[in-house]
Amino acid sequence: MSTNMNDFNKNTDTKLKDTLFYRIEDENLQPRSRIFFKSRECVMWALWLMSILIGALAVAISVFVVLHHQYALYEATHTNFFTFLVDILPFVWLAVFVFMTYFALYNLRHTKHGYRYSMTTILCSSIVLSFALGSALQFFGLGYTIDSQLGKQMKMYMSQEKVEVKLWQQPESGRMVGVQVLDTVEPEKFIIFEDVSGNRWRIDVIELFPEDKALLADMRRVRLLGEVTDLKNKLFHACGVFSWVFNENTTRSDLSTSRQAFVDKMGQFKVQAENRLAEYEKQTFDSASATNTPPMSVCANIALAR
Amino acid sequence: MATASSPQLTDEEIVVKTLQDKQFFGEIVDRYEAKLTRYIARLGVRNTEDQLDVLQEIFLKVYKNLNGFDRSLQFSSWIYRISHNEAISWYRKKNVRPEGHLIADSEELLGFLSAKEDAQDAQFDKTINAEQVNAALLKIESKYREVIVLRFFEHKEYEEISDILKIPIGSVGTLLHRGKKQLANELNSDAIRM
Repeated sequence: MSTNMNDFNKNTDTKLKDTLFYRIEDENLQPRSRIFFKSRECVMWALWLMSILIGALAVAISVFVVLHHQYALYEATHTNFFTFLVDILPFVWLAVFVFMTYFALYNLRHTKHGYRYSMTTILCSSIVLSFALGSALQFFGLGYTIDSQLGKQMKMYMSQEKVEVKLWQQPESGRMVGVQVLDTVEPEKFIIFEDVSGNRWRIDVIELFPEDKALLADMRRVRLLGEVTDLKNKLFHACGVFSWVFNENTTRSDLSTSRQAFVDKMGQFKVQAENRLAEYEKQTFDSASATNTPPMSVCANIALAR
Repeated sequence: MATASSPQLTDEEIVVKTLQDKQFFGEIVDRYEAKLTRYIARLGVRNTEDQLDVLQEIFLKVYKNLNGFDRSLQFSSWIYRISHNEAISWYRKKNVRPEGHLIADSEELLGFLSAKEDAQDAQFDKTINAEQVNAALLKIESKYREVIVLRFFEHKEYEEISDILKIPIGSVGTLLHRGKKQLANELNSDAIRM
């Protein structure tokens, strides 16, 4: 082998060099400019930075969703927290984050010295960077802003506000989003409410607490929990009114207060329902003639069911 | 064609000179032609004409990309990287499996067999000859073969191999370790078959 190689070298030594110089002259070959290589390196770093930034935005929106929904009134919309989570998690953004992390990995590996770092190091650093930056962006409220702006600009994009509307604007399931538009001649008993789909409802407010009525009277968007009593005539029996908490000024304390109000209200209705049942049992025990179930309030039924 | 001969200059200095006067490029060709011919032969480019074609492409690529040479690397690592890539793309283009004659002589074979690295994992029978080692090397996965060639036949350091193959230094160690193990298995199974 080594003898053959030496022969080869002797035979091709000048031949190769001459051929090379001939081709350089003939094809007018020039070394590529330094700027070309510098720009390529810059492009790789810029793409890496871009993927980290987009990944950070995805994290910011995901953090916003998780923080916001940890106070959700999920008992009103879902059977358990898991099914609720499946419905509200921003899977598109999670997918964007995964893709951007991969893209960041690819770009960093293609920088001049990127190959020197192990896959794990690059992957971990990209994830940590995106999380740190994403959390910082969310701290300044960018998660909410981007999500809601995208929701406004793009019809197809399901912002968290749209998700919340979708979860709550279901009259048949006893949930509505909208505003009180008119009083009636009996404002203590009925009001007129317009939901986000533009339908006007006559709302029975007889079981509402004073603070609920006050919330409605503010004429601002609210969430309504209750039951449709007559779908044809658009009659709705309200049991709870909860403020609409989707705006950039909503704090975690507001969300926490809103959730506590919901839990308290449901608790009160539940106690009310249990008391009525106990009273009925007592009546049945005392008198063999008591055959009719005492009237149960609509809201107490809802509280028991949930 | 007359070329500038500068034996006292380093490769890196010649690169700088070549960018000012292309005649210095001849010195790069002189220094690396034989080494790279051996290297691409080990990677699988066996035919003399093919070798000449691949070498031409390697040197032209080196010339065109001189400004992209990263001065923090050794020039030899950079030119070996280009050669490696060219050899790989050559046999991909030709759609052939590498048939390199990896070991040139008994001295190389002895050097390879007595290499201290991972000796506890790869115990070779000293009666094995070059042909058997060649056959076994061609059977192991190419990612292991490439590292073994660079380490034991081109005598490159870990850092250089990392720069040539564009992989982390840690991976060089891992690949060598696994490569030698796989090679030992191949040699041992060959011995059993015999």
